Amino acid sequence: MPELTADVVLRKIKAGEKVERADLRGLAMPKAVLEGVSFRRCDLDGANFEGARLSRALFKNASLREAFLAGAELREANLESADLEGANLQGANLAGANLSRANLEGANLQGANLVGARLTHAQLESAKLGGASLVGAQLSHAILAEADLSTAKLDEADLTNADLTGANLEEASLVRAKLRDAQLKDANLKNANLTDADVPALAPPKTASDGALKRYFGKGDVLRNAHLEFNEGASVEIESLFEQCTIALGHATELVIGKAGVLSGCQVKGAGKITVHGKFVERESPGIVGATQLVVTAGGSLVGAVEQPSELTRFAFEPGCMLRMKIHARKDRPSEQRVGRVGRQR
Amino acid sequence: MSDPKSRKTLVEEGTQFKGSLSSDCPIEVKGRIEGDLSAPALAVSPSGAVHGRIKVGEIRSQGELAGEFDADVVQLSGVVRDSTIIRAKSLEVKLAPPNGKMQVIFGECELEVGSEHAEKGTTTRAQSARPAADGAAPAPAPAPEDGSPPVEANGAN
Repeated sequence: MPELTADVVLRKIKAGEKVERADLRGLAMPKAVLEGVSFRRCDLDGANFEGARLSRALFKNASLREAFLAGAELREANLESADLEGANLQGANLAGANLSRANLEGANLQGANLVGARLTHAQLESAKLGGASLVGAQLSHAILAEADLSTAKLDEADLTNADLTGANLEEASLVRAKLRDAQLKDANLKNANLTDADVPALAPPKTASDGALKRYFGKGDVLRNAHLEFNEGASVEIESLFEQCTIALGHATELVIGKAGVLSGCQVKGAGKITVHGKFVERESPGIVGATQLVVTAGGSLVGAVEQPSELTRFAFEPGCMLRMKIHARKDRPSEQRVGRVGRQR
Repeated sequence: MSDPKSRKTLVEEGTQFKGSLSSDCPIEVKGRIEGDLSAPALAVSPSGAVHGRIKVGEIRSQGELAGEFDADVVQLSGVVRDSTIIRAKSLEVKLAPPNGKMQVIFGECELEVGSEHAEKGTTTRAQSARPAADGAAPAPAPAPEDGSPPVEANGAN
């Protein structure tokens, strides 16, 4: 039994008395209006706040293990360092809430609104975040290992240094998300949208000699069914496995497939410069469209077709490369131009 | 008799050759060859053109190639015309400078290069070259126009 009943708690609140540090385990206050109330350091394990209005409420350092907060209104609530292990926050509104260093291990946050929420250093291991909205959320250094983030919206979220090992990000939207130094080992990114995401991933970004930001995809990571776009002048190096991905390169963007890099069933489009030290296998033919330069070095392999741009592709092949390759001129280019000589008149 | 190592078959600029040509010494083409060709090595100069079915140990081309080429080692610049197939154990194409002329211009063509090709053997030939994109016939070995038997040239010039 709780130290205080729901009626007593309500009376205290109305009287302006504090309920901080109270033993309120199992307290049942569904749909209660408790906006701005302080439950700081209270023991609320197993409490029921289903559908309660708790905007700007203070739960700092409170214990809410296994608490039932489904559908609760917790906009801008302060849950810093709160213990919410196993809590049910399904469909709760936590927009702008402070969950820094909170323990949400195994918590159910399916369909929750966490737009702009602060979750830095939060423990979200094995948490259920399917369909949740985390647009603009701050998740740097958060532990999201084995978490379910399928179909979640993480656009512009800051996941710098977050641990996403084994996390399920299938069909998640990560547009312009920051994933610098995030751990993505064994993460499922099938059909995830990483458009303009900052994914130097497993190494810090390097600045190329020309000042362009270098994006690096390290060994051991797998990207599946992702669509990536890199802006003009970017420099991209891939040492990972990309499966069924499409990559759009801006003008003069450099794409380097490192020796350990494999692009399997992929397509690369745009006026970029491509260097293949590893492996490239196309999905749709042509697998490479519009590249201004294509280099396959010794040990590199390319299986697929290349459609050249109107100004033609600059090719270079080193002895020791492996090619199963068809080269096409652009379809609207006249045949005479396709095979014309350069620098010499016949 | 000249040193066999220094011998070569030369098709000089302004010379056009049609038919089958087999040689046990290297062939240098400054003119034009159309037909079947086999030799240990083939060098095509910037003014040269070779169209047909070619089986050689080594190709170094700065000129124009069209047809089917089987070789161990290929070094390419110049032009590769539509409907060309190049099969080789090793292919080298150097990268042109960014604002310089293109090192090699590829038409619609196929490249089969590398170890798998070596395992299959260089004698494996495509059944036929694909039709050219402009509707022209591919460039297989045409028979001599006068119906004469294939010419074999050794150490000419």
